[in-house]
Amino acid sequence: MLRPDINDLLTQTGPGTPMGELFRRYWQPVLHTDELPEDGCPPVRVKILSERLIAVRTPEGEYGLMDEFCAHRGVSLWFGRVEEGGIRCPYHGWKYAADGQAIDVPSELNNSEFCKNVKLRSYPLVKVGDLLWSYLGDPAKQPPLPEWEFATVPSEQTFTSKRFQECNWLQALEGGIDSSHVTWLHGGGPNGDGLEADPLFAGARGNQYNKGDLKPYFEIVERDGGLLIGARRNAEEGHYYWRVTPWVLPNFTMVPPRGDHSLHGHFWVPIDDENCWAWSFDYHPVRPLTAAERDAMKGGAGVHSKNVPGTYRPVANKDNDYLIDREKQRTGEWFSGVEGIAIQDSSLQESMGPIVDRTKERLVATDVGIIKARQKLRRAAEALRDYGTEPLGNRPAHQRIRSVAVVLPADQSFVEGSGEAFDARPGVAQTSV
Amino acid sequence: MAEPSPVSRCARAATAKEAAYRIDYPLAYARSTRVVAFDDEAARTVRAVMDEPWGQAQFYSAPGPGHELLTVAGEARPLAGELADSDSVIMVATNRVNAEAVATVGAAAQVRAIMTAGLLMADEDGLTGETFMAIRPYARILLAPADQDDLVELLRAIRA
Ligand code: FES
Ligand SMILES: [Fe+2]
Repeated sequence: MLRPDINDLLTQTGPGTPMGELFRRYWQPVLHTDELPEDGCPPVRVKILSERLIAVRTPEGEYGLMDEFCAHRGVSLWFGRVEEGGIRCPYHGWKYAADGQAIDVPSELNNSEFCKNVKLRSYPLVKVGDLLWSYLGDPAKQPPLPEWEFATVPSEQTFTSKRFQECNWLQALEGGIDSSHVTWLHGGGPNGDGLEADPLFAGARGNQYNKGDLKPYFEIVERDGGLLIGARRNAEEGHYYWRVTPWVLPNFTMVPPRGDHSLHGHFWVPIDDENCWAWSFDYHPVRPLTAAERDAMKGGAGVHSKNVPGTYRPVANKDNDYLIDREKQRTGEWFSGVEGIAIQDSSLQESMGPIVDRTKERLVATDVGIIKARQKLRRAAEALRDYGTEPLGNRPAHQRIRSVAVVLPADQSFVEGSGEAFDARPGVAQTSV
Repeated sequence: MAEPSPVSRCARAATAKEAAYRIDYPLAYARSTRVVAFDDEAARTVRAVMDEPWGQAQFYSAPGPGHELLTVAGEARPLAGELADSDSVIMVATNRVNAEAVATVGAAAQVRAIMTAGLLMADEDGLTGETFMAIRPYARILLAPADQDDLVELLRAIRA
């Protein structure tokens, strides 16, 4: 159970809200580079943290992210003409550079003098890896560019997709932290082989430990910038099989790996308080993804989704009851009757309503990970609001992190036992069984 | 395809407007949470949080082999009786953990299918392998390291 004021604090991310200000201390993924595919291409609407923006790529190749609406009379610049050095509003011809600065107001006699005082709010838009990232906060506090491993390995080793999720970001994040749902919803419970059926997970030795021990024990450990959530199962005599999920503030999670399959994870980015982007990535630290892997990812396997062509909305969505198949639910082939990990998660998280009323929840002791994550988010937002305390998780040292799957002696702390396994190290393979 | 249904009969009901129709009634407290400290240091933490207005939570320490729990008033009560109508046991310990008592209480919780969670308070040197070994088999979930605030937040979250 959460007090209503704390639920509001954690779920509201618009300008001026405590959690919104916290998010504005982090670089967030905004677009896939494919969405602005070439110099001078059409602009793209962006909504993030309850702000409506327009992303442009000028004919010179400069990226910009600015207020969507023209300073003159509020026309959406999505209708704008991308021209040399910027974008021009088609209504009365006001033109803006990539940084939102007005550079031409044709109706004004003293055009250049007038322009000086007209600037649309704008934010940096920077390519790191296959994504375009933005930072919506105080420029004086801008952290270094993100160094998440999925975005820094060569392009052929990484794949990122995104899908529109129709609920508050925290509901989606909490699914990423709540490891105890995996056995049920995705694994199919006692009779399922949900994970073995997915080409991006099949064949790992770890899968056998999963099947052999359906009731994992959990351990939650703090790490600079977030938490490590360890799920522990029995392995060979005197040993445990650990699957460890890192969470880095505020909205980055990774899934523990299986065998030599790629590592994967998510960013849960607020669009507004009732919608978010689920960014899903897969990468291998030391080898290119195979054509088969890439095809499976594009086809919606693993953590990815099949989207309506030309959009980022999943084919299975709330307008068609997520294409639930009651027969497969009955036989247990898909535990919830919904196909694929991504939609299994989104269907249930959306069903809770756009912003779930956490005063009505009935948490149990095994929800400690969620309780702890909420505590850290609340404290970070309050410390920033009340004391200007710089939050953790927005610097490279906290971002060079990996998920881990490992077998360790029974008396070892999974953190010490794993050594450097949690550190992203260029050229070094992941620790996985 | 079935005939068109009203919005409340399909997934589209997941709107803010429809969410407002989630029926409202008071939630019961957790059946009964037992918070047990397994060493003196842990007992200090437990005593520090017990004065909040909890629902039905009860607070103890577990000296000796653990077949009897000690209430904060210093009264010894048989373990079996105290677990009789409980649904979760929160185990609190430090490196000085009384492993024998953990095993007794943990096993008793296990046979009764009572959920267990452990909070391990670290000292400067962190937590030792023995501490983990003592509690791991018996705590479904461990927060390590944890502090007094964590205990309070956990108890609040589960409506103890
Ligand atoms: S069982 Fe967890 S939400 Fe229903
Ligand atoms: Fe999930």
